[in-house]
Amino acid sequence: MMAQATRSRSKLFWDVASYALLLLLAFICIAPIVWTFLTSIKFEADIVTREMHYIPPRVTFENYVRLWNQSSYPVLVLNSLVVTSVTVLICLFTGTIASYAFSRFQFRGRTELMLGYLVVRMFPAVLMIIPLFIVMRQVGLLDSTIGLAIAYTSFLLPLFVWMLKGFFDAAPKELESAARIDGTTRLGAMFRIVIPIARNGLLATCVFVAIAAWNEFLFALMLTTSQGSRTWPVGLQLMVGEFQLPWGMLAAGGMISILPVVVLFAIVQRAMVAGITAGAVKG
Amino acid sequence: MSTLTLRGVRKSFGLLEVLHNVDLELEDGGFLVLLGPSGCGKSTLLSIIAGLEPASGGDVLIGERVVNDVHPKDRNIAMVFQSYALYPTMTVERNMGFGLEMRGVPTAERDGKVLDAARLLQVEHLLARKPGQLSGGQRQRVAMGRAIVRDPELFLFDEPLSNLDAKLRVEMRTEIKRLHDRLGTTVVYVTHDQVEAMTLGTRVAVMREGVIQQLADPQTIYDRPANMFVAGFIGSPAMNFISGVLEAGPGGPAFVYEAGRLRLSLPEPAMPRGVAMGRPVILGTRPEHLTLGSGSAARLSGTIDVVEPTGPDTMVVAMIGGQPVTARLPPRVALRPGEPVELAVDTSALNFFDPESGERL
Repeated sequence: MMAQATRSRSKLFWDVASYALLLLLAFICIAPIVWTFLTSIKFEADIVTREMHYIPPRVTFENYVRLWNQSSYPVLVLNSLVVTSVTVLICLFTGTIASYAFSRFQFRGRTELMLGYLVVRMFPAVLMIIPLFIVMRQVGLLDSTIGLAIAYTSFLLPLFVWMLKGFFDAAPKELESAARIDGTTRLGAMFRIVIPIARNGLLATCVFVAIAAWNEFLFALMLTTSQGSRTWPVGLQLMVGEFQLPWGMLAAGGMISILPVVVLFAIVQRAMVAGITAGAVKG
Repeated sequence: MSTLTLRGVRKSFGLLEVLHNVDLELEDGGFLVLLGPSGCGKSTLLSIIAGLEPASGGDVLIGERVVNDVHPKDRNIAMVFQSYALYPTMTVERNMGFGLEMRGVPTAERDGKVLDAARLLQVEHLLARKPGQLSGGQRQRVAMGRAIVRDPELFLFDEPLSNLDAKLRVEMRTEIKRLHDRLGTTVVYVTHDQVEAMTLGTRVAVMREGVIQQLADPQTIYDRPANMFVAGFIGSPAMNFISGVLEAGPGGPAFVYEAGRLRLSLPEPAMPRGVAMGRPVILGTRPEHLTLGSGSAARLSGTIDVVEPTGPDTMVVAMIGGQPVTARLPPRVALRPGEPVELAVDTSALNFFDPESGERL
């Protein structure tokens, strides 16, 4: 009786402790977002005050309106959308075929190529920026959304190929043999049989690439110079002037910018989780 | 007319040669079983016939046509895979009709053929389901249905029953035999199960290390195996081997074993032809060709090692000439381990092999 009570008490203690830890972690993750949101709906005068106001005394959407109407923010978002879409599209077209080839064919230089893809990911981004900058200038792609998308592809395509290869590997090869006997070509078997099976994996991989491209800052800062191609992370950063710090607008910009990511996650979350676990557990 | 002809088919992966000059011919409507232990190249040979793997040399003919460079889809074949290879994203109906769909067969005709095949295999109530919702046996039926729908010139089966439990395997084996009798399509069937080979095949090719050891009808393979490998691979319990010497004695020819101390008198017809007296041989005899009895002239003497009743038979393992010899005896024999035993040999069913090459003499 006593032992049981002690055991259940100790279990209770650990339950409480783990929940406390999880709550703390959740707070650390969520608090900045909540604070950013609260800041974004405050009047400018209520943001920088002598006393801290966590809860805004007055609510306004002025920051959002001003950001959208009086700054270049809509252009920034549009640019980001273009860059992200182009990056995902390039990865989707070239990466799908590449990872299928890596997954299914034995060819000369296969291992070296795959290793090369991995090595690209090992270098710090800073190291790649200067060569990329020079290359982009040479070919006239500096300060363009397409150029930026290509730069993103250079480090996101390896991620895409490696991730997707895992999903393709998990699809049994006999299915393609069956499909080829049934009358499809190799490519036909890939599109009709393998991709539908790896659909969730493909979706998950695309979302990963899209989020990475959407949030990227360093390359965008270096490779874009004008309003026409700047993306939202750089644009927001440039709003910080020497004599002014428009906290409200920055916060509003931040909130709008995370919206697509949240929406994307909400839509594909189930498929992504299914895709990730399907890739992890073979068969 | 033969449906399938292989001429000198070779296959190597790098330096490793997995198929050496395979020649075979299969008559129209025949059922060829490729039988062998794993790694003998039987599945590779099937892939080459299907066109999924290119051969390194030789010719594959389906009908009169050399199909070496013909795409699998244009070979007029259908294949049933070990893992069934049903498309998980499609319904059973679409799985079965996929081959016709790819060939541009009109929907109405396709649906009719799929329904016919589904009825034949009793899976018509499953047509709307996905493969994931089917049991192993149902998947197996659907996989066969997919092959039947196409009405091909040649069916290829790659160990189709090895993923089923024992009871279902026997049922499906009968089903496959019934289907073959009914449809009359030519079949190439890969298996490592000798029972499947014996029951299904009209022709059996026993393979080992990329070489066909023997190609014959099942009964010939069982009765007159071409070498010790085939003799030992087919039959359960396996054929007994006893090494000894052939000698001409005063009472006629005999097989002398256990260092010359024991003899087995052989009538003239049982002697292998063209074999010199005094040469060492290996005698092979099937367990069912041994009976209890001391009256017979041709008998083996030894000591009982193990008695294994199986129900219909009792398997008795006796040590004869230092080698275990199994006899299939009637049930309820009163024998105990350690007792001496005399086993009469049916001399009309003896096999002799060369001790060095293992070939039949």
